[in-house]
Amino acid sequence: MNWVNAVVQGLLLGGLFALFACGLSLLFGVVGVINLAHGDFAVLGAYVAVLLLPSTATNALWALLFVPPLFGFFGYLLQRTLLQRSLEISPLTTLLVTFGLSVVVQNGLLEAFSADSHSFNVGSLVTSSFKVDEQLQVSYLRLGVLLVAIAVLSVLSLFLARSRTGIQIRAVADDREAAQMSGVNTRHIVGVAAAIAFATVALAGLAYGMTAQFAPYSGSALLLFAFEAVVIGGIGSLWGTLGGGLILGLAQSIGFQIDPSLGVLAGHLVFLGVLAFRPTGLVPARAAA
Amino acid sequence: MPVPILLELDRVSKRFGQVVIADDLSLTLEAGSTLGVVGPNGAGKSTLFGMVSGDVAPGSGEVRFAGRSLHRVDAAARCRLGIGRTYQVPRPFVGMTVFENTLVAAQQGGRLHRQAATDRVLDVLSETGLLASANTPAGRLGLLARKRLEVARALATGPKLLLLDEVAGGLTEPEVVELVGIIRAVNARGVAVVWIEHVVRALLSTVDRLICLAGGAVIGDGRPEDVLALPQVRQIYLGSAGSGPGGPEL
Repeated sequence: MNWVNAVVQGLLLGGLFALFACGLSLLFGVVGVINLAHGDFAVLGAYVAVLLLPSTATNALWALLFVPPLFGFFGYLLQRTLLQRSLEISPLTTLLVTFGLSVVVQNGLLEAFSADSHSFNVGSLVTSSFKVDEQLQVSYLRLGVLLVAIAVLSVLSLFLARSRTGIQIRAVADDREAAQMSGVNTRHIVGVAAAIAFATVALAGLAYGMTAQFAPYSGSALLLFAFEAVVIGGIGSLWGTLGGGLILGLAQSIGFQIDPSLGVLAGHLVFLGVLAFRPTGLVPARAAA
Repeated sequence: MPVPILLELDRVSKRFGQVVIADDLSLTLEAGSTLGVVGPNGAGKSTLFGMVSGDVAPGSGEVRFAGRSLHRVDAAARCRLGIGRTYQVPRPFVGMTVFENTLVAAQQGGRLHRQAATDRVLDVLSETGLLASANTPAGRLGLLARKRLEVARALATGPKLLLLDEVAGGLTEPEVVELVGIIRAVNARGVAVVWIEHVVRALLSTVDRLICLAGGAVIGDGRPEDVLALPQVRQIYLGSAGSGPGGPEL
């Protein structure tokens, strides 16, 4: 019965990973930037919520409404200024620049909030759960995170498939120059994609902050998990990203079940296995050149 | 009443390092007219398109479209002004369907909304013979269909000027004939066409005027038969008995 529990908890954890990975995947797929500061921005999102809102249960939920749009705006500006400029120099420059941003964010947070861990006060929500049977308890909060992840990915993929802006994002991701030749204002569209990516990063950071303690350096581990989820799922596929997140969550949870010290390692091993045997990921990108 | 000038290149120069791509080049094109462009490889034909469509900034001189300077106007804005171009090597959005490829162009380049955009797409797809493959991912298309899609996408933007970069290259004889038919119909609607092509036969059946570029300069300009008969053109093209690499397929 413990195994059922491990699987369920793994899927719930995977929802969080999928939420993390979504922004990374979008920013890489459309904008062409591998954002090494991804995890740190997520943590920054959590700190921004701590800073803006005194810790009471209702306020923590308000943060969900305010912080992602704020980050979206910030992401647009960052893309139109710093990231766009570094992209014009070379793809390698974007790695250096985002690595630099990561250092700046980590140390800025350290300076402002000290190295102590923080967490959100979401009141009784953090402990409340429902019992499926004696050995299987499901936390409302973690279930909520998984549902939010699924909702975000569904809305996003509908948006990309159907909307006027979404179709431009796909065109730009495919061939930026040809998109421009079709009249697409590529800089603006890339900025919009970055805005969406940053809004989801903030959302992931908030979800993380509600379910775990976070400190200024927490971002690095989050970046790694997000990367792994993206690679397992297949770069450029949103549903693959969800799958990748769930698989990573499962691997960690089952590993943990075998031996508590094995959890994270099991996730890495699955990631390495996918990289070795199926480097395009489980769901290869739609593009078939 | 004189026909208005649509496109004007005013003493345009461009060099990449020591290589002169355009040397004090001047050219005017009337609205609704057709112009063929021939010349050996490296003569600056595609760069000429680049300077008109906004891919390449001229080193000096000015490009004007419908009386308006294109200085500092980016490629997307030029597209919305009415300059449509195709690439020599087709560049479809491979992950999107033929319909979606054309829809982006109609919505953005053509600034159309909702039903109007859909109608434009359907018109253009039927004009270019792609209606049957509307839902096919562009990545699965063969060469002819990809070339047609290039034309369809450019047409969906509602251009006043259509720049065709070797759309007939690599096609079989019947395919070329079909393509020529499409292009003539487009021109008959009043769209000016500038066509770079090595397949000179296709050009001759379509354009009223031909220029020959060499070393970044116009070495012949006039009626196609006259230009092809010019000694300097014959020397460049046919001097060594037949067409070398990149020569015309007569």
